Amino acid sequence: MSTTLFRTIQPNHFTLLTTALLRTRTKTSRHISVRCQTSTTTQQPRTSAPKNHGSNKLDEILKDYEAVIGIETHVQLSTSTKAFCSCPNSYGSHPNTSICPVCMGLPGALPVLSSKVVDFGVRLGLALNCSLSLKSKFDRKQYFYPDLPKGYQISQFDVPIASGGYVDVDIPLEFGGGHRRFGITRVHMEEDAGKLLHSDAGDYSQAMIVDLNRAGVPLLEIVSEPDMRSGVEAAEYGSEMQRIVRYLGVSNGNMQEGSLRCDVNISIRPIGQAEFGTKVEIKNLNAFSAMSRAIDYEITRQALLYNQGQADKIVTETRLWDEGAQKTVTMRKKEGLADYRYFPEPDLPEVILTQEYVDSIRASLPELPEAKRRRYEAMGLGIQDVLFLANDVSVAEYFDEVIGKGADVKSAANWLMSDIAAYLKNEELSISDVKLTPHELAELIAAIKDETISGKIGKQILFELLAKGGTVQGMIKEKDLITDPVEIEKMIMKVISESPKQLEQYRSGKTKLQGFFAGQVMKMSKGKANPALLNKILLEKLNAKE
Amino acid sequence: MATRALLAVVTASPPRMIQIKASTFSSSLKFQRHITTIARSFSSDTNPSVLQPPDVSRLAETARISLTPSEIEECGAKIRQVIDWFGQLQQVDVSSVEPAIRAEMEGGNLREDAPETFENRESIRASIPSFDEVYLKVPKVLNKE
Repeated sequence: MSTTLFRTIQPNHFTLLTTALLRTRTKTSRHISVRCQTSTTTQQPRTSAPKNHGSNKLDEILKDYEAVIGIETHVQLSTSTKAFCSCPNSYGSHPNTSICPVCMGLPGALPVLSSKVVDFGVRLGLALNCSLSLKSKFDRKQYFYPDLPKGYQISQFDVPIASGGYVDVDIPLEFGGGHRRFGITRVHMEEDAGKLLHSDAGDYSQAMIVDLNRAGVPLLEIVSEPDMRSGVEAAEYGSEMQRIVRYLGVSNGNMQEGSLRCDVNISIRPIGQAEFGTKVEIKNLNAFSAMSRAIDYEITRQALLYNQGQADKIVTETRLWDEGAQKTVTMRKKEGLADYRYFPEPDLPEVILTQEYVDSIRASLPELPEAKRRRYEAMGLGIQDVLFLANDVSVAEYFDEVIGKGADVKSAANWLMSDIAAYLKNEELSISDVKLTPHELAELIAAIKDETISGKIGKQILFELLAKGGTVQGMIKEKDLITDPVEIEKMIMKVISESPKQLEQYRSGKTKLQGFFAGQVMKMSKGKANPALLNKILLEKLNAKE
Repeated sequence: MATRALLAVVTASPPRMIQIKASTFSSSLKFQRHITTIARSFSSDTNPSVLQPPDVSRLAETARISLTPSEIEECGAKIRQVIDWFGQLQQVDVSSVEPAIRAEMEGGNLREDAPETFENRESIRASIPSFDEVYLKVPKVLNKE
């Protein structure tokens, strides 16, 4: 099964490109299909040759070894304040301006938990089908590092707010399709550390610099079960995490901004072996495509060592993904596991949830991506359409509104996926910026359906409405469409007289030529003839005279 | 309460039976029961004299506190006393008591998500010796602990 999966990846690298063209890129640089975007813009010269080799190599490897992959995701919450103090939580502020004694860890300052963080934690836990701990607590995770003002991170160690859940995903068609369910071990609340950067002063050997704006920003950490078996599955899990947090509105899920961070834990084992192999952690992944490639690379690296009888060279370590070199590299090897000396945070009380509170949040959850995908499938849409429409919550809402006004489902999907998506990509807009309202799109679809206007005119109207807004009815009037039967008849007669040969062919049985005549009339009228009238009169004329 | 406090002391002293790491959690562990099993295992069959002496040098290292050899000895004895005291608490039979997460009962005390700018940020920055107009300067760090 997994070999088929990989066999389809490399040859289809360029179908990735075409599907990428159909996906929108929003103004806020939200990537709808991150894996397509990054791989096309940065990797084109490099990946065509080696990847083909890689694919066959990977197939061979996967005949003998199974990869076991788990992912830890850190989600930065889009709250207005930090987790334990009221400092503003806003990306991009001037360094070290969003600080106070609490997040700076000054003596005597005490943390106070934000109610919003609990709300978001419950929301995400429910969305991931977890059991919630009605009572949970915070713990101190102690270590020394320049971006950690208190010398410890307030986190949840042994009693997280949510645990034991799962997520259902759809693997994209180009990778074999199919449904998968991945387990979620736990979700817990914690705070972020500051940012440690290299100083620009060129003096790399002496100093680094710290910006503490981010210290104390609330995070939700999601730990998955080691259920993924390939780079493709891992990337789809990551994408679904991004989709879910955006659907819920708990985070903007931008990997580039760092509001969604994924670390991968991967080991391989010979097929049939029950024990797990040695686990390696991979960090510094900036996109889902990078995640997929890093995993493929690591599987290959580890299998090679196994095959050479050097499996003991695989050690528990953290490796970084080097995007330039397209390989994982060792960070300095750790000398043993870290000892964080966890103990319960004495400055914070228990987090207590009532059943009513949980139920009210559950009732207010939006329709989640999985439910949307199943509903769209049930409407008769193909899986490709389903995956596109459900990917971005704003696009899905737009689509739902359009069909809510009675528009034909397939037409609405087609318009959104092709012309509208292309427009959004060109103009670098998001669906929420567009001037064509769902109501007008529904009108447009109806007008084409009942043959008030031709498809061609429909497209013209679409572009004008996208750019300038307005109404379909208004456009139709403006376009000066020809709806006078007398005029249309005149044009029909002219075309018929100019095409005697085709007329004869039609009369002798080639009724498909009606399309030819219709096309000629359309050409003559520059597309303005009313299609319904045209066809009605044309048919009369073609079948009548003798 | 005693069992949790013991957890804290035990995690600070040298690795004994169970080194608790987040990475060892798997779906088979239920967290509440986990605390109970740890608590039970500590409270059942150990007696004070069996508890290992604290590795004070290692403790001092992890807390980044430098101690002279005589201080290590002194501290060692005092810490040993505290551990022995918890060893006495272990003798109590708590097999019929559900472990509590925390001592107090109320919980709550949550804050509204309304931003406030701390007025005296300038004095915070001014009190940092290595602050350099915009950033804190720190020595170059190669590896997380």
